[in-house]
Amino acid sequence: MSPDNEKLLVVENLATTFSTAGGPLPAVGGVSFELMANETIGVVGESGSGKTVLTRTIMGLQQRTNVNVTGSVLLDGHQMVGASEQEKRAVWGTEVAMIFQDPMTSLNPVMRVGKQIDEALRVRLGMSRADAKVRAIELLELVGIPSPEHRYQSYPGQLSGGMRQRVVIAIALACSPKLLLADEPTTGLDVTIQAQILNLLDDLKERLHMSVILVTHDLGVVATRTSRIIVMYAGRIVEIGSTREVFSAHRMPYTRALLESSPKVTNDPHTRLVTIPGRPPNLLKLSDGCSFAPRCSFATDQCHKERPELQDADEPGHAFACWNPLPATRKRTVKTT
Amino acid sequence: MLLGIVFIISVGSFYLIHLLPGNITTVIEGPGASPSNQAKLYKLLGLNKPLFQQYFIWISNVLRGNLGTSFISQTSVASTIRAALPIDLEMMFLSQVVAFATAIPLAMRSARKPDGWLDRIFSAGSFTLLSVPSFIVIVLLVLFVSVKLGVPHTGPSSYAPFNQDWIVNLESMGLPTIALAIGSFVVYFRVLRSDLIATLQEEFITMARSKGISQRRIMWRHAFRPSSVALLGTAGVNIGGLLAGGFIVQYLLNIPGLGYTLIQAINESDYLLVQGIVLVVSVGVVLINFIFDFVINIVDPRISRE
Repeated sequence: MSPDNEKLLVVENLATTFSTAGGPLPAVGGVSFELMANETIGVVGESGSGKTVLTRTIMGLQQRTNVNVTGSVLLDGHQMVGASEQEKRAVWGTEVAMIFQDPMTSLNPVMRVGKQIDEALRVRLGMSRADAKVRAIELLELVGIPSPEHRYQSYPGQLSGGMRQRVVIAIALACSPKLLLADEPTTGLDVTIQAQILNLLDDLKERLHMSVILVTHDLGVVATRTSRIIVMYAGRIVEIGSTREVFSAHRMPYTRALLESSPKVTNDPHTRLVTIPGRPPNLLKLSDGCSFAPRCSFATDQCHKERPELQDADEPGHAFACWNPLPATRKRTVKTT
Repeated sequence: MLLGIVFIISVGSFYLIHLLPGNITTVIEGPGASPSNQAKLYKLLGLNKPLFQQYFIWISNVLRGNLGTSFISQTSVASTIRAALPIDLEMMFLSQVVAFATAIPLAMRSARKPDGWLDRIFSAGSFTLLSVPSFIVIVLLVLFVSVKLGVPHTGPSSYAPFNQDWIVNLESMGLPTIALAIGSFVVYFRVLRSDLIATLQEEFITMARSKGISQRRIMWRHAFRPSSVALLGTAGVNIGGLLAGGFIVQYLLNIPGLGYTLIQAINESDYLLVQGIVLVVSVGVVLINFIFDFVINIVDPRISRE
């Protein structure tokens, strides 16, 4: 995987805050990163770490009321923050598309799947009904759906979860987007189907020259499929770097905890799974210090009082946010499947 | 199933009408009639037979397509109904067109921004209308439109059949249409608004947005259909209710529809006419609901599958 030398996406100091009854809720707080053309980046973190909100904000798909977005998202020259719905519509589908988490809810249950693929082709690309149908069937074939002509007429309820997710992918790819946001695309699927869908995404990414942001809580998913990884905690990036670097030379204790808590094939049978003690912080009551401090065994007074900013590690492009990082070494024993 | 419902209704209505106080022979022969004449007529009309036997005679005639002849007017019940029914159908049709044509776009506007100022106005307005009964509405309409503004052919007794003078007909249908449409509008607006708001929260709407299609298209193509199941169900019940319940409006405006005829028939203890109308209306109500159930199955394929 060699990323082209062209920045497709530049996110700067992006913050998404929801107004709730309990006060402002900073779901994403000051996230900055860049994504090259044809690159796949993984975003990992626990549930509630802001991964989904981050991808929706990048796309500008967040809810329209009670939300405040600041910072900058420059997507192939389009500023997504503060853009009107109409401006964003011009970008959606053709520049950026999203694969949603749960294919059981992300397809319109009362619309034939063919029509749902056609729609983007006809509205966005101005295709005729007949052309759109031909293209839609091609897309169904592309995502590996058997007898696509027949499936074109199916309602989502007549398809299995894996099939539905393939349809969702076909819809996302319909207008050949440059950036594909995959928000936990396999979480709602059976384990055996998960690998199929991920391999399909990998394959399509190569064939169609897309950049992909792959959001997951499963480190095994990103290990072999991404060039870089962003580790998120409580709405912030706590570590970012090349996949190899994050796995073998991570500095942030949270990254280590996350890696240690994934099951490994090399473990003896019946090994107790390592878990991270405590629970993710309440975003309504964030302290001034490091959000991970209450769960961190290395935490000092400074950690509780002052928030660490991202600092560069030895390798270029690798950064972490920690006052008491793990020592810089390339010999981490942690391996994943 | 359908036949069962109609059978139960026919028995019930037959029994109820015969519970009514008053003696039909007094209506026919006048208050001064001698008891022996009354008894003779009573026997002649077959009213001295046991009730179940009377029912049996009536229903077997009905099944042969004969609704009987009115004791009072000596005209066949079927022809009376044939004359009155088109008026009800027209009123129903016009009022439903108006109700749907206003409720759907307004509900969509409201649902787009729930609790926005437009939604607040529409919701408050619909709630106000909900609490005003149609007989008040029709009286106020007559007062303002017919009396104050003097618009012709809108007051009571101005009805003319459509094939006789369609301009007068439509003019005279204006007020009852509005009065009935208001009641339907309120219900449809509220049902559709809340379903649309729920549907618009769904993930597949976000998915549709992410395709870059217009708000309008999302509303009509994606949100409307899955939100219209309750609307159709309500409409089925409501239209059935109108078929039977338009009578207040008809009565106040002297429009000789089924409801109006029914009230007269009840006042005159015109058993056969009442039974005939009740039977036709109940068959109509059952049929309408059956049709709507069928439409719902088409609109939402999940329902028939489950």
